[in-house]
Amino acid sequence: MVRNIVVLGGNSHPKLVESVCNALALPACARILTKFSSGESRCEIKDSVRGKDVYIIQTGFGGNGAKLNDHFMDLCIMISACKTGSARRVTAVLPLFPYSRQPDLPYNKAGAPLFKAPTEAGRKDYTFDSVPATPAPNVPKSAGLTNGADITNRLLKASQLNGDGPASPMVNGKPNGESYFANGTNGAASVRAHPGSYTTHDYENLSIVNAFEARPGYKQWVAQAGTLVANLLTCAGADHGQKQATSLPRLEVCHVWETMRGQQVITMDLHDPQVQGFFDVPVDNLYGRPLLKQYIQQHIPNYKDAVIISPDAGGAKRATAIADSMGVDFALIHKERRPTKITERQNASMMLVGNVVDRVCILIDDIADTGNTITRAAKLLKKEGAAKIYALVTHGVFSGDAINRINASALDKLVVTNSVPQDDHKAKLGHKLVVLDIAPIFAEAIRRVHHGESISVLFNFD
Amino acid sequence: MSGEMANEIKLISGRSHPDLSDKIAKRLGVEVARTISLNYSNQETSFTVGESVRDEDVFIMQSTATGDVNEGLMELLIMISACRTASARRITAVIPNFPYARQDKKDKSRAPISARLVANMLQTAGANHIVTVDLHASQIQGFFSVPVDNLYAEPSFLRYINENFSPEDCVIVSPDAGGAKRATSIADHLNTAFALIHKERPRPNVVGRMVLVGNVEDKIAILVDDMADTCGTLVKAAAVLKENGAKSVLALVTHGILSGNAIETLNGSVLSALVVTNTVPLGDKVERCPKLRVIDISPTIAEAIRRTHNGESVSYLFTHAPV
Repeated sequence: MVRNIVVLGGNSHPKLVESVCNALALPACARILTKFSSGESRCEIKDSVRGKDVYIIQTGFGGNGAKLNDHFMDLCIMISACKTGSARRVTAVLPLFPYSRQPDLPYNKAGAPLFKAPTEAGRKDYTFDSVPATPAPNVPKSAGLTNGADITNRLLKASQLNGDGPASPMVNGKPNGESYFANGTNGAASVRAHPGSYTTHDYENLSIVNAFEARPGYKQWVAQAGTLVANLLTCAGADHGQKQATSLPRLEVCHVWETMRGQQVITMDLHDPQVQGFFDVPVDNLYGRPLLKQYIQQHIPNYKDAVIISPDAGGAKRATAIADSMGVDFALIHKERRPTKITERQNASMMLVGNVVDRVCILIDDIADTGNTITRAAKLLKKEGAAKIYALVTHGVFSGDAINRINASALDKLVVTNSVPQDDHKAKLGHKLVVLDIAPIFAEAIRRVHHGESISVLFNFD
Repeated sequence: MSGEMANEIKLISGRSHPDLSDKIAKRLGVEVARTISLNYSNQETSFTVGESVRDEDVFIMQSTATGDVNEGLMELLIMISACRTASARRITAVIPNFPYARQDKKDKSRAPISARLVANMLQTAGANHIVTVDLHASQIQGFFSVPVDNLYAEPSFLRYINENFSPEDCVIVSPDAGGAKRATSIADHLNTAFALIHKERPRPNVVGRMVLVGNVEDKIAILVDDMADTCGTLVKAAAVLKENGAKSVLALVTHGILSGNAIETLNGSVLSALVVTNTVPLGDKVERCPKLRVIDISPTIAEAIRRTHNGESVSYLFTHAPV
């Protein structure tokens, strides 16, 4: 039992909240967190937080009917409610930090997934290589789309924002209404025109994405929301201190400084460690690495002969850290933007640096979102003669087509942590998916932060 | 403006209410800027600006669609932040229906003051100026340290009443004590009678009797309020007015949020009409509810944008509705 500590859970990951509370041997703080019918979040904290050390657990994952942005607003509202409720210190615990990964430009390159509703899980005709049928008047727009109408509306709405969008659907002067159908050929043409875009994922949006044109001579500017999200979290909690600091007597200032300091963020495996620098408050970035390492050592036979692989250059550091500490070989997959051969469309632009013939491959990455990167990497590895392919990923978001894609992929085992709820994914992927529990790490981190002990010790137990 | 390079109005529209943005753009004689907002499959919002906003006077129009408030708010914050990092000279957030306006005080222990939070978030994102319509409580302006222009739908309402009724047949009614000021102001301008409905609350959470203070007999009773959400209060008030001998009852409301079963409630009520402005996107509600009338508020907002841009006074709009 830890004293003077309150663990408050958001709606995004109730199971994790429960396990963390169990590990700390305390009940979760009673609260009401719902939505008014108008769509505004409603938050009431039932237990007293005065003078307490409050930890709010909310992960950056939308699902089960709730949206990511709702969860984020809920988090900000909870932080500010605790602050106005005179909490001594409020710490936001975000196992997966929202908006930490920002896309490349422009959209029609691979790796920038666009909005699409989840397809039915067991789509029979799905193959990894499936390329969408060309939309035509008599071809169903998208087999297996559950709420396609909604998307069309969204797209239509979005397309109307493109400068000259009056009520009738017009895209940059061309009547979009000849419409979706005429556009379909358009979309198909552009799929052909970009042999480098593997994703089977955003084709539905190609029409709208292609319709969007920046003004000639202007390179479009994509919002980078990471900094904003960091600032918003800080402003939700720390503002009431900052605003008054100038006009208060000295003793009070000390107190205000305390409250300003009384804000903190705990997260895990940030995609860009630089995000830590966006904050004016302390950020503790926990590592999933020890967990992944432990899995390798305990569950992969002859792991010493395996090869650790980073699916892209960005993750090389993460992968080498694990490889070096275990004395295991390392290989890297390099993405080349220019395809070398048109026939090898899927893998044309990927190159493996290293040797994997007849060896066990262990892919290491931090986030699997649409699953594109790891499934493509797995395909390449298989082609290069890998014996068995494991993928170890800290955050298994699995949005869009990811589940189907993984099911159809050459991956033998996919290991993720429960930084986002994994029950649904587990149900769909079965034995292919292994879920590691991060609750003990977070519980221990919370306990250590509360007592002012070192966190880094948590990661030095080799 | 001497010496400075002339800058232009850049009107940027979020996804929540493109219709209103188009109307405002038409009114201002500008084009809505080329931008695209999308949601990634992991539900994160992405926003791209397709034209230069460097040193321009940027106005970002985003209302909040009923049921999707948080989405709209996050999109707005991301849009503001994108324009800030793209070196806009000034960013004005045009938020016809200010989200979380009703959560503006600590009415219970540990209740969040979410309106304050929204104000802070907007400023953190980089908004230099806020334009809104009929704030639920004008004190919300005090949550900001940047200027807030709170426009009124009142002039539009006055014109509507004058065009459709003769004021001497009408009584302006406030459905609760909190809205009395708003209602008396309209009554004074029209030089008509005023009445008020008082809600007795015997215990908390028990809706008590509604008592009418004033006389509505053989008059057209016009209920005036700032927002109609589930319409429960409004419909009950209408019934009370009818019982007290009102010839007919209609309601003039600025923000038609109309969530939950509002449309069914309205259709089954004694209200002869609910008049709202188009600050909130209404979707198909107009077709589903024959009692719903819409006043276009875009001339007022467009004029406020034009005057803000040119450095003219906005207060003229508090008493006059542009035609």
